[in-house]
Amino acid sequence: MTRRVVALSLAAALAIVAVAPTQAQKRGGDVVIAQTQAPPSLDPHATSAQAARNINLHVFETLYARDENARAVPDLATGATVSSDGLSYVFTLRRGVKFHNGKDMTAADVVASLERYRKAGASASLVGAIDSVSATGAHQVTVRLKSVQSALLLNLSSPRAPIAIMPAEEAAQPMGKAQPIGTGPFRFVEFKPDSHVKLARFDAYQPNPAYRERDGFAGAKVVHVDGVIFRFMPEGGARDAALQAGQIHLNESGDGTTAARLAGDARYQVIKALPFALQVLKFNHAAPPCNDLHFRRAVAQAVDAEAIMGTAFPAIYKMDQSWVYAGSPYHSDRPLLKQNLAAAKASLARSGYKGEKLIFIVDHIRPNVDAATVFQQQMALLGVNVELKVADWPTVSAIGLKSDEGWHFWTHSFGIEPFEGPASVISPWVKGQGQRRDDPTIDAWFDKINAEMNGDAQRRIFADFEARMADEAIALNLGQLGLFQIASARLKNFKAFRIPRMWGVWLE
Amino acid sequence: MIGYTLRRVLASLPVLGLVSLISFGLLWLVPGDPAAVFLDAGASAEALERVRRELGLDRPLLQRMGHWYARALQGDLGQSLLLNRSVTAALLERLPVTLSLATLSFVLAVLLGGVAGVLAALRHGRAVDHGLMALAVLGLSVPEFWLGMVLIWALAVWLPLFPPGDYVAFAVDPLRWAWHMALPTFTLACVQVGFVARMTRSSLLEVLGQDFVRSARAKGLPESQVVLRHGLANALMPVLTVMGIMVGALLGGAVVTEQVFSIPGLGRLIVGAVLSRDFPLIQGALLLLALIYLLVNLVVDLLYAAIDPRVRLA
Repeated sequence: MTRRVVALSLAAALAIVAVAPTQAQKRGGDVVIAQTQAPPSLDPHATSAQAARNINLHVFETLYARDENARAVPDLATGATVSSDGLSYVFTLRRGVKFHNGKDMTAADVVASLERYRKAGASASLVGAIDSVSATGAHQVTVRLKSVQSALLLNLSSPRAPIAIMPAEEAAQPMGKAQPIGTGPFRFVEFKPDSHVKLARFDAYQPNPAYRERDGFAGAKVVHVDGVIFRFMPEGGARDAALQAGQIHLNESGDGTTAARLAGDARYQVIKALPFALQVLKFNHAAPPCNDLHFRRAVAQAVDAEAIMGTAFPAIYKMDQSWVYAGSPYHSDRPLLKQNLAAAKASLARSGYKGEKLIFIVDHIRPNVDAATVFQQQMALLGVNVELKVADWPTVSAIGLKSDEGWHFWTHSFGIEPFEGPASVISPWVKGQGQRRDDPTIDAWFDKINAEMNGDAQRRIFADFEARMADEAIALNLGQLGLFQIASARLKNFKAFRIPRMWGVWLE
Repeated sequence: MIGYTLRRVLASLPVLGLVSLISFGLLWLVPGDPAAVFLDAGASAEALERVRRELGLDRPLLQRMGHWYARALQGDLGQSLLLNRSVTAALLERLPVTLSLATLSFVLAVLLGGVAGVLAALRHGRAVDHGLMALAVLGLSVPEFWLGMVLIWALAVWLPLFPPGDYVAFAVDPLRWAWHMALPTFTLACVQVGFVARMTRSSLLEVLGQDFVRSARAKGLPESQVVLRHGLANALMPVLTVMGIMVGALLGGAVVTEQVFSIPGLGRLIVGAVLSRDFPLIQGALLLLALIYLLVNLVVDLLYAAIDPRVRLA
């Protein structure tokens, strides 16, 4: 028996399309966006950095893409037929799709792209379940799995380090060396490191006829502007000044003070991209006393999460303990973390903590340092001695991701995982990666949720995972944070999403 | 002179070798993994290792070092880990931007600082002297990042006379280049104006009090000739030494100024390379900066001889 996944996906996508208010759309002009960092690479398979994603998802497309509510819907594929044993997916490709070099996209390009990603993609584990990929027609690709993977379409549509389809000859290039030639609504023009990336409207682009409106990373991508320039401006003040001087149209990440100041000014629009990430506090379970459940519970009971979020992300946070965003079918109304110092002190007394100094590693991004500082003060009330070690991201991540020593606590945000869904949220805790100690229960749930095709059963597994994260204090979900995106009033029909999408917008 | 110059150039080669060796050692000591820049916070250690292999960072340090020296001796500084181009190309693209910013600031600092210093010396102890020296101390004390931000708000946002940032190449549009460089140049020059003004004033005051100046005045030479020909010419030696140091300070200050004004120069490149641990790029940039310092010192030494015939180059 076979099932047509596409029919349901398309019906759902069309049904939820909201009819946008009629506005006079103007064609032309270059939109200038200021973002904080330059992309480490424009090879979409090579990096999962947000700075690269912002640009690459204008240039490249995937077989399936996430809609506004993070569901996987067809993009370069018209759909997929799944075999009755769940081990074979046959993708039918859209016809007439052109790459920016003028070549038609065929099954050979898709096979080459998927094979490249399997070998060395930045998030190769997303396609780890694939056994083989083959072209079974000029516009048909068959993917065979080693074992059933319920999240295959979700994984193929992940925007993290997108499994972008590129011409076969580019897919033959070493990782990081592929030219930015995709099928997306914008084509690459130039990349001046430390300055900008320029994209131009791809005039041969045909919006997906299955859709009528912009919808997440999928939908009908209609481009009104001539081009987009992503300028790299690390200084927040410089981005604000550039916006107010009319040099840029969108500050992708503004600060709360500026957002409040410009909110009442008709020349600007302040958009809250909330939620954009979860703020997570990790424990190093390999280092005493964080290996002690009583100690971790004491910390969890002593934490005033709202005080931390309110200080680190003023006016742009939301207290929500679910590990996925509201709107996801896996979202739950978990009880909020509640500070209870008496209970915390009792738990601490049962732990093996003897007053030793504990190390909190944190990168130098201001909100993360603020969160760590408030946490340090709260731990002082409990009687836990915390020392902050602030460094840049390459230093902190090299310690936190690879070492069992030199740290006890670490805070950073999880942005894309809660958007991607349950398997992606569980994944960082599998094989003890995030907490530095194996947790066979979590490992088993990860395998189970990947193999489970029934939605209700998946939700139960994920609820169990969320409960375990809280009960065992594996790590603390402090709350959800957002971004202030500040745009010129000239930029019309802009809507905050995971990246600053420039299709569907126009300049007045 | 030619023999001296050649000997100095040859003597600088071991210095460059030492700089590269020290920078390798420092990079080895500094923690951090460039592979992390390619990945997000939820990345696995496995993904990190894969990127490390792709970047060639899994090879032992000594092997990487040997490989680098072998290529550097042939004029190849290697490939940047992040920019997807050669280190030499990346440095040469940005060098003109930073050099033009530093040169403009240097000229502005010498002109403004020199004039202020001479005026203060000639009006020694009067209101003009006190006022100019107060301004000089203020200029010396203002941090570049703060001054840059204030200038942006005052002259780009509040009174939109200049652009708040960005860069236009001279070859593309000289007028727009000058317009874009105005605020960064003033920001970078400000500290040095104070420095030059104070140094010129004290040096000139010392010279003007000497016997040969009194003799010049006694001969009935006009005051302008006394000050410019006899006074300032002799006061230039210490100022020249300061100017050599200034070049280094300007290159250092360019790092901050380029960040504030979003100018794609050498300073911004180095900051990005350090933050992302782009080792080959850091290595190449340090070598280039060392070379610039050596050249500047050589030029200053040669100028000593040109200005003061008593100085003989051994």
